[in-house]
Amino acid sequence: MDETVAEYIRRTVLKIPRDEIKTMLQKWGFLSEMQLQTVNFHQLKENISQDVVQLCEENSADIKQAAVLDIIYNHIYPNKRMWSVYQMNKTGEEIEFFDFTDFKKKFKRRLRSALKNVTINFREYEDNAIWIRIAWGTPYTKPNQYKTSYVVYHSQTPYVFLSASVLRSNLPLLCQALVVASNYHDIREVELRSHSLNSLKDIVFKRYSQNFQTYCPRPLSERKVAPESADVRIIQENRNEKERIQRVNREVFGDGPQPKLEFAQYKLETMFKSDPKMDVMYKKEPFRCLVKFSSPHLLESLKSLAPVGMADAPLSPLLTCIPHKARNYFKIREKKGFFPESFVSP
Amino acid sequence: VKQEETEQREEKLARLKARVQELRRQRDELRAKVDLQQKGQLGKAGVVSDAAQPSAQAVLEWKIKSVKAMLQVFYLTGISGKLTKQGVCFCISTAYEGTYLDSYYLDLLTKPEVRIHRHSVPTFIPLEQIAKKHLETDIRRFLSVLADHLNAYVGRRHQADQLQEHFSDQIEGTLQRNSLCNLLVFNYNLSSRSKTFPFNARLLYGDLCCSLPTEVTVSCT
Repeated sequence: MDETVAEYIRRTVLKIPRDEIKTMLQKWGFLSEMQLQTVNFHQLKENISQDVVQLCEENSADIKQAAVLDIIYNHIYPNKRMWSVYQMNKTGEEIEFFDFTDFKKKFKRRLRSALKNVTINFREYEDNAIWIRIAWGTPYTKPNQYKTSYVVYHSQTPYVFLSASVLRSNLPLLCQALVVASNYHDIREVELRSHSLNSLKDIVFKRYSQNFQTYCPRPLSERKVAPESADVRIIQENRNEKERIQRVNREVFGDGPQPKLEFAQYKLETMFKSDPKMDVMYKKEPFRCLVKFSSPHLLESLKSLAPVGMADAPLSPLLTCIPHKARNYFKIREKKGFFPESFVSP
Repeated sequence: VKQEETEQREEKLARLKARVQELRRQRDELRAKVDLQQKGQLGKAGVVSDAAQPSAQAVLEWKIKSVKAMLQVFYLTGISGKLTKQGVCFCISTAYEGTYLDSYYLDLLTKPEVRIHRHSVPTFIPLEQIAKKHLETDIRRFLSVLADHLNAYVGRRHQADQLQEHFSDQIEGTLQRNSLCNLLVFNYNLSSRSKTFPFNARLLYGDLCCSLPTEVTVSCT
């Protein structure tokens, strides 16, 4: 077995939390159950990884199998990577049948025709998600297994989720291969990024809870009801206002959990509005500034702003439109209201 | 002339008297009604009440119940809606052969023209295409076509799920499908006379509004 493969497997195993190593190796399926029995999974991770490498040596693992283990790791821990969203366009109206074998063939052929030194692996999952792992090399060097890009694609949708590697020069090539393989015409980056892959999927696939007005709402028992305070002497002075805030909040954010985003960024190119007598900016040009909201869970914290009294309800539509417009990067210019957003390419 | 004036006064008097009679009659009627209502309330406390006259509360409850039932009927038809401040919100509820499946929502704006504000339709359903064709010209047709697409999609998906669930022992490997569930490929074995034959089936669903395949290829591998 190749030294580099051995080292790669060792480092991949070291990344996995100790309690999860056995399950992940079982998912991998490269080592037999009997072989796994011989490993003591309670020892130090250093030693576990050495044992695993030894077993892989016995089975003569090659880079393709090692890559599969890497995909499995990233599929279970996708939040360790930063994901961006790309959208593809096509003009035709033909019904797409999407054959996975066909897709793989076209993708590999397109990519390899431009760059021979790449490792490409595919893995299909139950929810129609296709994971593609690409390790990049150069025309003169072998693929670097530590410089990988990940692509997640759901068939027959125009959206692609990308966790690009450091080498941005390979991005156009990757995009081209995706477009060709999935029978679309072009692709562009959408201003939506997060560590939480599932939340990005929820936003673009509209799987998050939107509050639609309907005559058959879910039964009240499903909604969280604030407990009545047990002591009758405590009177809610602002009950009406509190209820109004709850109602408005629910209309805007829906009942369910919000998709997980870490930040929203607003690039302002607006004129500074001040008292004309103060004459702060004698140059009449836009005041450029960048406003960035960060949070471990931005949308949940926005949702709780009004109920805890830190902001008025309803919140500014600039904040509440984020899941609906499927973007968390905005460019705000001066005239004609709030959303002349253009797409900023990095 | 004096005679005419007297006659007029007498006529006016007669009219006013008749009016008073009428008003007294109405007052008595209303009084009787109020009495009966009060009796009805007391009746609820245990006294034998006049069963023929339902109380206002009971009438209101009955009205609410029948409206709810009507709304439920609309919901069960598969396409129901509710007027909103800016337009209307439609709910398309899907089902396949007696099993209720997902509901999808469309929030439409009606001014200045009909357009979609928000929705929960999956991205692989060609919503933009259907909207471009029908939304502004014939909204009934738009909803009908969209409901056909959605019902067919959940039907295909349900069948594929059922296949995986109930025949998992006969299928070799995994069932290859896609988001729209319009292409299914799987391998399965058939035994006959103590010999097993491996088969491959490929189901193509050419019509997105149909939950049955248009082309099936079965081959012995």
